[in-house]
Amino acid sequence: MGLIIEEIYVWRWPVRIYHWLNAICITLLFITGLYIASPILSPPIGEAVWYKNMAWWRYIHFGTAFVFIANFLFRLYWALFGNDPYARFGGFQPWKASWWGTSFKEQMASYLFLRRDEPHHIGHNPVAAMAHFVFIFLGSWFMILTGLAMYGENNPGGFIDSMFGWVMLFFGSSHIMHNMHHVMAWIFPFYLVIHLYAVTRHDVVDRTSVTSSIITGYKHKVEESPM
Amino acid sequence: MSAKQTFAEVFEARGVNRRDFLKFFGLTSVSLGLSPSLFPKVVRAMETKPRTPVIWMHGLECTCCSESFIRSAHPITKDIILNMISLDYDEVLSAAAGHQLEEVRKQIMKDYKGKYILAVEGNAATKDDGVYCMSAGDSFLNKLQETAADAAAIIAWGSCASFGCVQNADPNPTGAAPVSEVVSGKPIINVPGCPPIAEVMTGVITHVHTFGEIPELDRLGRPKAFYGTRIHDKCYRRPFFDAGMFVENFDEDSASKGWCLYKMGCKGPTTYNSCSKIEWNEKTSFPIGSGHPCIGCSEPNFWDNGPFYTRMAEVPFLGTDSNADTIGKIAVGAAAAGAAAHAVGTIIKQKVTPSKQEEKES
Repeated sequence: MGLIIEEIYVWRWPVRIYHWLNAICITLLFITGLYIASPILSPPIGEAVWYKNMAWWRYIHFGTAFVFIANFLFRLYWALFGNDPYARFGGFQPWKASWWGTSFKEQMASYLFLRRDEPHHIGHNPVAAMAHFVFIFLGSWFMILTGLAMYGENNPGGFIDSMFGWVMLFFGSSHIMHNMHHVMAWIFPFYLVIHLYAVTRHDVVDRTSVTSSIITGYKHKVEESPM
Repeated sequence: MSAKQTFAEVFEARGVNRRDFLKFFGLTSVSLGLSPSLFPKVVRAMETKPRTPVIWMHGLECTCCSESFIRSAHPITKDIILNMISLDYDEVLSAAAGHQLEEVRKQIMKDYKGKYILAVEGNAATKDDGVYCMSAGDSFLNKLQETAADAAAIIAWGSCASFGCVQNADPNPTGAAPVSEVVSGKPIINVPGCPPIAEVMTGVITHVHTFGEIPELDRLGRPKAFYGTRIHDKCYRRPFFDAGMFVENFDEDSASKGWCLYKMGCKGPTTYNSCSKIEWNEKTSFPIGSGHPCIGCSEPNFWDNGPFYTRMAEVPFLGTDSNADTIGKIAVGAAAAGAAAHAVGTIIKQKVTPSKQEEKES
């Protein structure tokens, strides 16, 4: 076991709240979304007007979606204007060649077993930052835009339809947009598997308490104890 | 050429009395979604405006749009509907044929330059200079572009002319392309459906004639009055959808009870049309009303959107036909397998790599 030699406050409360609210929203959205696509529960007995069995699944999906969007925008605000070095967009500059330099290469090499030691990063390492950007940032944008476009279909010509209805033109038809929303939803469980594995692995290999850090906010620097 | 008669004159010549004349346009105004205050305007236009000359062309198609059109079932008989517009050219209905008929088209194009409506049924084959659709020694593609050049507006009848329909379904051997892809610079009204509803067709023409302009169109160029909402949102089976009461099999009791056809592959939730409002054949029924799921025939690429009778449409992905959930499960499985493999790699690395302590000692 290692000795804790330093405690670093990495994830401030906006980041932690975002993370867990996001986790809850995505779970709910994924489950209700799959259910809407293929409602598997047995039909109720009696008159249709007594029940809202399917309508509830949609209602929860839409309600959760708006929480998800608000949470996403909150995190976006924090990334753009928050005075938080570990959550800001500031350092994330993949359009520059230098961003893909030593630090990124070292981390990649470590993941590919090409390096002995593990590079240390206090916040996100560059590979993790890129993965979050592709899967969570772009993935969320995709789901939000297609989702709002579809939600707008409930009230054609309404506010949401006039703001987001144009998204459908990229897909050619409402049907294909529905399908792509469905396919892209799977990037979240896909990413969840990788995310959980990477976090567990880092916890075991670097022993920086990354897992508990998303609850407490603190990461630890550990020194290897003498034998 | 004699001056065009007005609608009222045509009706009178046909022995239709004033009462029926007003009734017809009352219903037409309602079906166009116009307010009652505009009704006198509609009637006035019908009384005073000469009939709009129409050139009706047929490309790669099955004539189901014409078949639907002649069944427009408001109080007026179908032949009067045919006479309402001054249908000056139509390959299917003309007594004349060949070069005689082509001369008529050229004459109309000259006499009513910039004033005639070009109604297009079917689409144009574009591959190999359009040889897959020829008439009167010329390709339909050339004739379409030539006639469109002097038209006031173009009405694209049916899914073929609007979006391509079965002709341009994968793999589209003739390079069939909808009107909007081969004609530019002209207002195009897309009236999709396979076929479109008869009353929608006559409604669109009435609008163009009455107001002298094209109706308000949505993002895909369809008249909002008829294609503004989804079948699903006006479906009389919607309470069964909301209650979660679905037909699982056509042989079940639920099918005869008229439950929701969502799980039978109904495309109502993604299809914009008036079937659940206007219905077909004098409001006799519409597909869902007859117990059949909507196949989404008025939507772009509906032939390529997977099977008609399954809910989960298939997504063409890397050349395979797999559905969204299959793709997703494979991806998640691959991620799990990758993570497991990487974990094994990490353990091996830990074992192989000497610890710092050992390094110091050595």
